[in-house]
Amino acid sequence: MVDELRTRVTARRGGASHRRRALRLSPRLLVRLLLFLTAIGVLFLAWVLGSHHYPDYILPGPQPVWDSFTSMLDRGVWARQVEATLGHMFTAYGITIGIGLPLGILIGRFWVVEDLSRALLIFLQTVPTIVLIVLALIFVGTTATGVIAVTVASCLPYFTLNVIQGTKSIDRDLIDMARSYRAGELTIMRSIIVPSVVPYFLAGGRITLGVAWQVTLFGEYLMGTPGIGFQVSAAIKLLDTPSVYAWGLSVVGLTIAFEYGVFRPVEAVLTRHMRRAE
Amino acid sequence: MSALIELEGVVKQFPGDTEPVLAGISLEVGRGELVALIGPSGCGKSTVLNILAGLIRVTSGTLRINDRDARVSYVFQRPRLLPWRKVRRNVEFSLEQADVTGAARRRAAEAAIERVNLTGHEDKYPHQLSGGMQQRVALARGLAIEPSVLLLDEPFGALDALTRSYMQEELLGIVRGTGTTALLVTHDIDEALLLADRVLVMSSRPGRIKHELRVPFGTERSLDALLQDPEYGRIRSELRHLLRPEVVEELNG
Ligand SMILES: Nc1ncnc2c1ncn2[C@@H]1O[C@H](COP(=O)(O)OP(=O)(O)OP(=O)(O)O)[C@@H](O)[C@H]1O
Ligand SMILES: [Mg+2]
Repeated sequence: MVDELRTRVTARRGGASHRRRALRLSPRLLVRLLLFLTAIGVLFLAWVLGSHHYPDYILPGPQPVWDSFTSMLDRGVWARQVEATLGHMFTAYGITIGIGLPLGILIGRFWVVEDLSRALLIFLQTVPTIVLIVLALIFVGTTATGVIAVTVASCLPYFTLNVIQGTKSIDRDLIDMARSYRAGELTIMRSIIVPSVVPYFLAGGRITLGVAWQVTLFGEYLMGTPGIGFQVSAAIKLLDTPSVYAWGLSVVGLTIAFEYGVFRPVEAVLTRHMRRAE
Repeated sequence: MSALIELEGVVKQFPGDTEPVLAGISLEVGRGELVALIGPSGCGKSTVLNILAGLIRVTSGTLRINDRDARVSYVFQRPRLLPWRKVRRNVEFSLEQADVTGAARRRAAEAAIERVNLTGHEDKYPHQLSGGMQQRVALARGLAIEPSVLLLDEPFGALDALTRSYMQEELLGIVRGTGTTALLVTHDIDEALLLADRVLVMSSRPGRIKHELRVPFGTERSLDALLQDPEYGRIRSELRHLLRPEVVEELNG
């Protein structure tokens, strides 16, 4: 349903005929929107009712969680910690893409590179994150670098495997077409291979972002590096459960904000040539 | 003056196959000549064009294009458009490779789009076009660079009868008007007789040139005039009889 909403919203870019359609909320869409909001309402109600049966250090109600959130906001803690976590995460995310995109394309194109990098990718894919965290603690200590390194190591295989798959699924006929016009390798890379990989890049990017969130928080939690993960661990030690809930919901909010504020608009631009389901 | 395109004893066997696809093909296409290559499905017609375009290597034999600056355009059996480029930019792809830039590129693309009757569709993506329109975009991409050698692989197969005959006339005009050398692969005897100076008939796999026929109708042709000509019916049935056993052979494997 939310997907459909997005289609309506992005359709608005598509000129006057689209604009008219975007403004018209079809009855079916309205029903689905209502169902969605109802589900949220039910969850919220369950939370309120549940909180009456449990003490605040187990299940605080919305009010204490909200108070904790606004207090963190007022003291500037929220902004500072969120900034630290986003810094870790997006640095790691950027490094992952910076390495994974060219690596994936090279692996997909040349079997020599594939065989050379296979062992590393399998290792990174299978080694438990907790072991990576311990290794990072030993090698780089409890610094931001450690968190970033662990996040990159965990994200790299997910992202790279998607790019490899995309590179392998490229339409050879298009490459032959380019060759018949005497296109060089660079042109083929730029005009055919990279655009072909875009859908896989986006799919990989989305999975990787989820992994990056989890591993960054986990890393901060265990390594004691400033950021949301560390705040959660501190709050648990102080039995400040409302803060734990506040942070948890903050991450949910940030994830959604990023999905709709950045990811989907970028996706809409990059896939604008594709046929959309009407 | 030597021919522009020469194939001599070309054999092509794909790795892992037990029998070659092409078993010694020799053919020549003179400058400004339009030669049709006709034969049953699977006999290796596209393979001949792939070899000429430099996309696959011959197993043995020689291939020459006697012009170092030849501009080769290959219009494939399927459109092979870039899905992420609009029509205009797809047509410009060939021009980019030929280092035509700026306003000249835009003008050449527009002219080619007009030739294939797609003006007004420049800003559509391939998936917004019908199969026949996509094939015409591919043709425009091939024509835009004003090639000296034009390789055409059943370029009109996806078109309806009326559009096809319009495009055939257009192609004839371009080839005659610019002195383009063209090798046209086709299934269609009428198309071959309408367009070509010579028709080469291929045997079923392993492919050889089985027969060569000079088309005696001069350069000013139209389908209407041909249909009046008793000679046309005679040649047409001659070709049909040449092809028939090959098609039967191919179907029986
Ligand atoms: N790259 C390739 N690898 C292996 N076999 C190939 C390859 N390309 C073509 N062939 C084989 O060569 C034979 C001739 O193929 P080709 O495409 O040249 O036929 P064609 O005459 O163009 O047929 P059609 O009229 O159906 O297009 C076929 O049996 C095909 O399977
Ligand atoms: Mg073919």
